[in-house]
Amino acid sequence: MVAIYYVMIVSALYFVILMFSFRNIKDIFRRATYSKYNTLSGSELVPSVSLLVPAYNEELTIAENVRCLMTLNYPTYEVIVINDGSSDETLKVLIEEYGLTLLPNPEIRGNISTNKVRGIYYNPQYPQLYLIDKENGGKADSLNAGINLSRYPLISSIDADSLLEKDALIRMARMYMENPEETVAIGGDVRIANGCVIENGEVKDVSLPRRMWPMFQSIEYLKAFLGGRIGWSHFNGLIIVSGAFGLFRKDYVIAVGGYRGGYPGEDMNIIIKLHRYMLENKIKYRVSFCPEAVCWTQAPDSYNILSNQRKRWGRGNLKNMIENRDMVFNPKYKVMGLLTMPYNVIFEALNPYFRITGLLALLGYVLLDMTNWHVLVVFGLVNFLSGYLLSVGALILEEIAFRRYTKLSDLVKMLLFSALKFVGYHQLGVLWRVQGHIQYLQNNNSWGTMTRQSWKDKNEAA
Amino acid sequence: MFSNLEMAYVFVYVCLGLIAAGIILLFQMKIKHNAIQRETERFTEKHHDYFVYVQSHLHDDTTLELPPGKLTSAERRVIQAKFMEWIEQFKGDAREKLLRLCRDAGFVEQEIRALSSMRKDRRIEAVYRLGGMRAEEAVPQLQQLMNQTRYGPMTIIIARAIAKSAVSSQQIREMLSKLLSYDKAIHHMAADILLETRLDSASLMRKLLDDPDPGLVKVSLVAMWGQAIPAVVPALDRLVGSEEKDVRAEAVKLYLGSNPALKDDTIAALMNDHEWEVRAAAAKALGRLHAAGSIPLLASALKDENWHVRNNSAESLAMLGEQGFETLCQAALTGEGPARETALYRIERIMSNEGEYEQVEQMVAFNKRKLVYDRYFGVQTNKRIGTVAGVGGDYTA
Repeated sequence: MVAIYYVMIVSALYFVILMFSFRNIKDIFRRATYSKYNTLSGSELVPSVSLLVPAYNEELTIAENVRCLMTLNYPTYEVIVINDGSSDETLKVLIEEYGLTLLPNPEIRGNISTNKVRGIYYNPQYPQLYLIDKENGGKADSLNAGINLSRYPLISSIDADSLLEKDALIRMARMYMENPEETVAIGGDVRIANGCVIENGEVKDVSLPRRMWPMFQSIEYLKAFLGGRIGWSHFNGLIIVSGAFGLFRKDYVIAVGGYRGGYPGEDMNIIIKLHRYMLENKIKYRVSFCPEAVCWTQAPDSYNILSNQRKRWGRGNLKNMIENRDMVFNPKYKVMGLLTMPYNVIFEALNPYFRITGLLALLGYVLLDMTNWHVLVVFGLVNFLSGYLLSVGALILEEIAFRRYTKLSDLVKMLLFSALKFVGYHQLGVLWRVQGHIQYLQNNNSWGTMTRQSWKDKNEAA
Repeated sequence: MFSNLEMAYVFVYVCLGLIAAGIILLFQMKIKHNAIQRETERFTEKHHDYFVYVQSHLHDDTTLELPPGKLTSAERRVIQAKFMEWIEQFKGDAREKLLRLCRDAGFVEQEIRALSSMRKDRRIEAVYRLGGMRAEEAVPQLQQLMNQTRYGPMTIIIARAIAKSAVSSQQIREMLSKLLSYDKAIHHMAADILLETRLDSASLMRKLLDDPDPGLVKVSLVAMWGQAIPAVVPALDRLVGSEEKDVRAEAVKLYLGSNPALKDDTIAALMNDHEWEVRAAAAKALGRLHAAGSIPLLASALKDENWHVRNNSAESLAMLGEQGFETLCQAALTGEGPARETALYRIERIMSNEGEYEQVEQMVAFNKRKLVYDRYFGVQTNKRIGTVAGVGGDYTA
């Protein structure tokens, strides 16, 4: 019965977080609907932002993504693409597409140590675009190199396989301007672009993915971002701002030493470091979530790529928890120490073990006395129904505030896949996490394969 | 075991019930939203001719009529939304005509009534629409609503509506004071809201600059970025000496931007200010003001601990003729550390522009600099001084 109770407690906690998301969703809808962005996006009063785009072997998508970033509705910003020693033609594609040339004496303002920068490319015809070419050092190292070159007080990390909505940055900036002194980071909403029609670096027509793996991820992202992060941000307990799209105060990122290199999970790590820094120095702060600022990303659409990604996430999560174990149940770290970190250790990092041991114990119990088979059924039902209810909750949040998927058939499809997720996909998630932990113990520190498709091919295939 | 299982059953039934309710709600919401969407499209199409009529008479003397017949609430919503869209786009008489139409159609009255609605959603919608329709008669109620609202995104929506609708500077002042009373350092947001006003900006800014509240002074200084308002220069001159650090920095930037005649002791005081923002603003302005007498001050500012001050000084030196450029070359050759790097970088940027000048005067000025450059670094065809470290770094960091 411990296993059933564990599932019920986890579900109850998820429900509490979901309730906080519901509590805030109307306010989010109102601010998204009744805040004017056309005046702000032309205003000099909006803070300037440096967009940092680490790119490793992104030759197929990088040109279109940079084009998208160069045409945002935002008054003052720069785009810094960091080629992290790609072995493909990423560097060449960008140099040719934008006619970039090597800058003789670039102004490098920061001094966070990074792998060797081979050169910085620029074309005065595109004054807001810079390209850093550096030796391979990982995503964190690339972001640090971008910070060193950046001119502006705010930085935004954006994955090279992601497309921002034109108003995404200005929506985040509005949130920042509401409380600039206390805001240290803002996360954006990440959605799956597979299946959408992409034209000129912009999502023209929103549709659900046609393939199975991206479809599952689409549901998963909705649940995590709308059902989870809105709730966590309500009491300043966000532990992660997605690496795909986030906005940060540069001075604080520099104060915590920049991004931690050498291991995945740098997006969670920087947020934990920011929480730690602010709490240890007793500075009032908030890490916010802006679900109306949307970034569309390419989701892995094959088993191998997806499993690599999830194992990497599992490794990164475990590493971050072990590195910051002193924060767990430590009242000095307030919500982070007493709620977020313990929750992450018990209900995220150790979740697979509780579930597997619980299931094995139940199986053993049933095998001993076959008349108790219904206990196993109840366990399965509790697992399935609680998870499905959370998915339905996330879909309601989406319908209240955003309504990106307008067709009734989309709703039916999402409800169907929310259920199917528990037949195989959910279990694979548990397995990948365990495999990630094993990799961590084996000191396997690779990033894994992330094969990209061009957006054009993606439109045809998704 | 039995009671434990009982509990699990209860959990299962509760989940089942909630899931069923959730799915019904989802379908109901989706169908309703899609129906509203279709209705909006249908009414937009139905009133297309009326919209063309209004648009074609916005700029002549015709008194605009309301749409004929009795309108449903959905039709009214579509027409109101279109009027509000145009109000944002047009100014002057065209906007006034649209505002009058909104009043005649009863939209303003209807939204004022909605301010007392039990539903928060409706109240905020009414606030937004009243701002959109510049409803001056709603300002007292909007102010009251703002006073009752806890700080958050809704406060900003209400403040914007007040700024759009206000007809007196006192109303603006009260709104800004309330906004700043939350102590959130939102001067930039407040300035952006202030710019929504229809009131005469010169007299409003002058009043705010004379306000005893330093917060309001700062908001008005921020709001004046990029704007030339000669009427406020005397007030800026006074604020350059303000005790408030932020106010002084902003005032200096604006004051220097108005190209004033600066006395030597004012320049020296600004270049030695303990706030880097003031020093940086002064250093930037000196080149543009052709203040050749300040070359020694700029040369010593190349060693400033702040990156912005160093770079602005180098930029200004480069603008101060041969003498300024020679000072840069000296710093590049004999200076050290960040001063040398800053000077080298600026020289490199200037020299890399060779061949890009079309005006004779620009070519002559460039050639003079090139002679100075060759004197210091020797004649090097197509080869630049490449001695700046690959990673310079911000020495203030």
